[in-house]
Amino acid sequence: MAAAKLQALWNHPAGPKTIHFWAPTFKWGISIANIADFSKPPEKLSYPQQIAVTATGIIWSRYSTVITPKNWNLFSVNIAMAGTGLYQLSRKLRHDYSSEAAVAKE
Amino acid sequence: MKTLMELLNSFWNSPVGPKTAHFWGPAVNWGIPIATVVDTRKPAETINGRMTTVMCVYSALYMRFAWMVQPRNIHLLICHASNETLQLYQLSRWASAHGAEERGSK
Repeated sequence: MAAAKLQALWNHPAGPKTIHFWAPTFKWGISIANIADFSKPPEKLSYPQQIAVTATGIIWSRYSTVITPKNWNLFSVNIAMAGTGLYQLSRKLRHDYSSEAAVAKE
Repeated sequence: MKTLMELLNSFWNSPVGPKTAHFWGPAVNWGIPIATVVDTRKPAETINGRMTTVMCVYSALYMRFAWMVQPRNIHLLICHASNETLQLYQLSRWASAHGAEERGSK
């Protein structure tokens, strides 16, 4: 039973014998590096970079559902990219705008 | 001979044209090579060797992906071929800077 399922995965059109598997799998490394950057101070984050990461994630999530073969691995890695990008953007925005509020009061 | 209007129309209505994710996926990816062009003007000491190496593997994988995906995406292929070239150039700059560093300390 399990062997049949494993075989089905192994031979899948977006499975580990194809580029459709390895391209998204490698991209997870980039998202993981992003997650490591959650501890970076907000001053060191870049708006253009995080906007690019977020936009890429959103657009590619859509792209991965209209290509053949439909690629859920690619879909999930791009959802993660959009998620980490949005989180980093919110950290930086919160830092920049709460600091301004503190300075304005002085 | 197609008129300009006919060409523009066939582009606009293309199954891989600007009304589709097949166009915008690669379009947003151009941010990476463009950011890299900006980085080539910066001193070689600012280059992150690990990230550049990751980018070299990443673009090589996605060049193959662009070729094998249905529909075949030449726009994406060109985007990643450009990035691959730029990243390899940056890697050579980083390697020279590090080689010089070692020679200097001997």
